[in-house]
Amino acid sequence: MLTLFRLAFLASCLLYLVQAQAEPVAEFFGRQGSSHTNNWAVLVCSSRYWFNYRHMANALGMYRTVKRLGIPDSNIILMLADDAACNPRNKFPGCVYSSSAKTLDLYGDNIEVDYRGYEVTVENFLRVLTGRVEPSVPRSKRLLTDDRSNVFIYMTGHGGNEFLKFQDSEEISAFDIADAVAQMWEKKRQVYLPSLSAPTDRVLNACTRYNELFFMIDTCQANTMYSKFYSPNVLATGSSVIHENSYSHENDRDIGVAVIDSYTHYVLEYMESINKTSQATMQDLFDTYDPAKIHSHPGVRPDLFPRSLRDTLVTDFFG
Amino acid sequence: MKWVGCWRAKFLLALHLVAVSAQSELFEEDLTLRPLRDGKLAARFSFTTLLKGATPREPQTLSRDDEAQHYTLFPLALGQLLREHAVTELHLTLNAGKWNYDHWGYPDEPGVGTGAELWVWMGDTVPTSVDERWQGVRHSLAGLFCASLGHLDEQRTTSPALTFQPEGFLPNFTHPHQLRHATLPSEHVCTENLTPFLKLLPCKSLSGIAGLLNPHRLFDADWHGLGVHVRYREGAGVEVRLAFQAVFDPVRYSPDRRRDWSLHSVFDRTIERACPVARSGKVRVELPLDTSYTISPGPADVSDSTATYVVDSGKEALDVAMSWPDEHEFNYPATSQAPPLTDISVRRNLKGTSQAEARLTLELTNNLPVQVSAGYLETMPWHLQFYLHTLQARVDGVSRDDLVRIVSYTQPVPHSRPALLQAVLTLPPRATLQLVMDVSKPFLRYTEHQPDAQRGWDLPPAVVVSFAFGGANGSEALQDAGAEAEAETRGRRPRRMYTPVMLVDLATPDFSMPYNVIIMSCTLIALVFGSVFNLLTRRLVVVRVAGPEHEREREAEQDAAGGSAKKTR
Repeated sequence: MLTLFRLAFLASCLLYLVQAQAEPVAEFFGRQGSSHTNNWAVLVCSSRYWFNYRHMANALGMYRTVKRLGIPDSNIILMLADDAACNPRNKFPGCVYSSSAKTLDLYGDNIEVDYRGYEVTVENFLRVLTGRVEPSVPRSKRLLTDDRSNVFIYMTGHGGNEFLKFQDSEEISAFDIADAVAQMWEKKRQVYLPSLSAPTDRVLNACTRYNELFFMIDTCQANTMYSKFYSPNVLATGSSVIHENSYSHENDRDIGVAVIDSYTHYVLEYMESINKTSQATMQDLFDTYDPAKIHSHPGVRPDLFPRSLRDTLVTDFFG
Repeated sequence: MKWVGCWRAKFLLALHLVAVSAQSELFEEDLTLRPLRDGKLAARFSFTTLLKGATPREPQTLSRDDEAQHYTLFPLALGQLLREHAVTELHLTLNAGKWNYDHWGYPDEPGVGTGAELWVWMGDTVPTSVDERWQGVRHSLAGLFCASLGHLDEQRTTSPALTFQPEGFLPNFTHPHQLRHATLPSEHVCTENLTPFLKLLPCKSLSGIAGLLNPHRLFDADWHGLGVHVRYREGAGVEVRLAFQAVFDPVRYSPDRRRDWSLHSVFDRTIERACPVARSGKVRVELPLDTSYTISPGPADVSDSTATYVVDSGKEALDVAMSWPDEHEFNYPATSQAPPLTDISVRRNLKGTSQAEARLTLELTNNLPVQVSAGYLETMPWHLQFYLHTLQARVDGVSRDDLVRIVSYTQPVPHSRPALLQAVLTLPPRATLQLVMDVSKPFLRYTEHQPDAQRGWDLPPAVVVSFAFGGANGSEALQDAGAEAEAETRGRRPRRMYTPVMLVDLATPDFSMPYNVIIMSCTLIALVFGSVFNLLTRRLVVVRVAGPEHEREREAEQDAAGGSAKKTR
């Protein structure tokens, strides 16, 4: 009788524990979160020459933020069109600063630049995005994303209505980027491969190259660059509308040139308040846009993005 | 059954231990500091990892799977690269600045050509050719060291086997070894090249001498360069030597312009602790001979004007400091009191103001009292084309074409292959040999220009190797020249010298011309086509435009016609 009572007690305890665990578990899996498993970042500075120091500082500021929030170097493709840190004109060798207070060195001691100098071309950028690289290209220069990757693309440089200049000699247009992103999405299909040894058809599931894509661009008339996207799961933001310039934020007397752009400066300032466990959403980021301070009108394109911006965490893309 | 299993496990364990001990690894680190006579400080870091008992991969085995390689200290990324492409010997240097041979002497590491230089000895094989593996090596190294070595393609690759002899041993493979050499003089060196370099070390930059490698100070040096050297030592194994050389200027950092230096003042760091896996860690300081100085702390060993410190974990942080207490502000030595420190001095220039042709001049000064034979190597991209028949040699204005003997010349192929010129020059004692040659600057295709086309193209350095001293009448010439000459030439060995890189200005087109041409021709075509089309298809009809009286008449007619039309409906 006693053993029966004990057994019943144990059984009821177990049932209670299972019940207690089930609720948080169900809640965890039922959350409307992103379904990504890894993060990648492609950061591009497309302008060359010393007077475009601020574009390199923009890209390096994003690099540092993205690394700080947890994306490893192996998942970051950093493209810098010129060498600012070890440039003979740089009074502070090995350092790139984004403010005239020079409190934070963006270059640091541990940096890996994947494409540098003359390698930053429109062709290489599109090849990286679409994955159509030559077999000899090393792993660190490839975007090895899968269909559960969230990709963050950041571009900065000189641009205009639906184009961005690369190295002052060629341009990439909004249509090119939109088509490249469409190629990244397009791979979701089933491929039938009959072979001699196995006459029955083999089905190969080729997967897309992104789960969700966040495109940020800081250049003149930047919002035109994302106006041509037509692939699903793309969220885009830019620094200025059509017929409007984006301005630099701050000059430095010792370095001699402007060190950061306004839009990127305010975005990075907001990102400094984000850490790896932050629950801030993308809507919070976009709410901090202040056209009066930035001196241009940033825009957001949420129509291709399936989730609400209030449910999308900043760390879904940045960390 | 249990006993059998236990026996098997023990046997496997013994086998593993034997294997591990047979292929053990050795890591040594070394820092050499040399104060130079113009107040600068030359530093050379050398990190050597020896994989005992290992041999380079036979290229014939590339089609099969490789045998498993187990590395503890040997850098895995580099080891995999070497096995993947069956590389026997590899030398990669990334340098910035101009090495001043006259004031600084010979560098500890001979490869001081500005920019990126890569040369590799690989065994030939049938299925995958040397060129395919060369491309693989370049791209893998580009990914490993974050350098744009992918640009070292066929337009920059040559095979100058006379100058770049293997520094190790080339094993006897089925097919002989071949050399591939390429330079990229416009390559920058920065922290992103140092980061993977440090990651190849067993202790990274956390302990040991590598802790001194502070990029903010290294890339502020007057000259800096990093090198990766892989060679096979017969009987010992495969050796990887990672080297970093730099020339610092303590006078620039010092507030009162003194040439006193310490590890902390130069690197902003000290050697905190020794690397636990290093068999030996030594700091060697060359002591100046002609001035009074102090050095602290007391060295462990002083021999042959070199003070040696041993990096030991037991003691406190090591901060070697040298000062000249009798000096105040450093006085740079006058040129008359500062003879060149090398056997020969080389200067190379490109003269001319035209964008179609120029003159390449090379001046070699023999600083020794004996005759010197030197090998001269030019690996010139097709951006500058030699007219070899115009090559003239002069000593003091007198034409001496007998002093130049061209050993080999490979013609450049425009848009695909560089020129390779190998010559032997005989330099009379204490004389200057001047070589002058006409060169032409070709046209580049529109798509071949670099994005900053107005800057020009960097031309790789020429390499001069002084290999024979004393001339053809070897010993007799030495006896004639006297004991001084004999002392000069004893113990001299062939050393490579690099000239500085040159910048050539090629004709750049107006890059907006294609746009202009398209716009203009489209406009012309539209105008011509439009006019012709209109002429052919448009029918010109005369229309009488009536005056005001006729207007009223016509309106009355129209009303009548409209009224009748209404009636008939």
